[in-house]
Amino acid sequence: MKTSSFTNTNGKKSPLGSLQNLKPGMKGKKRGAAALGLALPLTSLIDAFSIIVIYLLIGTQNNGMESNIPTKMSLPTASHSVSIDKEIPTLTIQKGVYRLNDAVVSVKALTQKLTELKATLPKEAAELLVQADQEMKFEDLDPLLKAGSLSGFEKMKFAVVPAQ
Amino acid sequence: MNIGSGDEKSLDFDINILPILDILSVLICFLLLTAVWVQIGSLDTRQAIGDNSVAGAKNPPSLWITVNPKGSVQLSLRDLPNAKNHEEEIKATGKAINWSVLEQKLQALRSKFPDLKTGVVRPEAQASYGDVIRIMDKLKQAQFEGVGLSPLG
Repeated sequence: MKTSSFTNTNGKKSPLGSLQNLKPGMKGKKRGAAALGLALPLTSLIDAFSIIVIYLLIGTQNNGMESNIPTKMSLPTASHSVSIDKEIPTLTIQKGVYRLNDAVVSVKALTQKLTELKATLPKEAAELLVQADQEMKFEDLDPLLKAGSLSGFEKMKFAVVPAQ
Repeated sequence: MNIGSGDEKSLDFDINILPILDILSVLICFLLLTAVWVQIGSLDTRQAIGDNSVAGAKNPPSLWITVNPKGSVQLSLRDLPNAKNHEEEIKATGKAINWSVLEQKLQALRSKFPDLKTGVVRPEAQASYGDVIRIMDKLKQAQFEGVGLSPLG
């Protein structure tokens, strides 16, 4: 019997040979070569799917912190950035509104909130990640710099998109 | 037992491949939906806290970069041991900062003064945050070890 499958390259017939193709309506039946023309090569499909799964599994291995960037925020780009490898408090500035770990904080209360936050952190982990839009004016960042200085946050990390 | 007898019917068992494909498809969909597509990095700075100034303490040589919202940049060298304080202005190209000239000047200053390792960016109120970050990035690129950001006066 001749088959159209590309897997049947040698004379010996594999016991799994008939399982490598999807043949609708062919269970337990033998039909002519015309019906085999519609066979789908399932083995190669499984191979392709497995490669996609492995690629996505490796690609999504993210050891760093998970960060939520607001949808309308466009972070600045920098070529000498470092990856964020641990969970640190995040302060987001958007249209003049300050959000410390997603909670809205007024400018007046910023120093107090940062001082309270720093008291809960270990001394070596007193870092703050700042997320802000690249079109923002510096005057919106200035209160944070002053509040950070007064509350004792020495290390500030500015969130950027790493340049390719 | 038909081993070696060539009888194919006894070996012809069914493995249902379609559920495997279903599982793989579901896995792919799950991974695609949960994937983080935008990786973010950070530009680290070390800020002065409280009042760090100590009377009589010797400040390290530093480069202060004043950023104007119109795109001009002023470079000022301070506390150099064997040189006078140096000031230089980089004119804007249109309304943007002349990045190529700034990069060249930073590299030139760094090679001329090897002790110059501190850079402080001092933007004006209306200066763009994106430009400020890009200047800090240029300082890091020019091997400045301490990069800081000065608040408004």
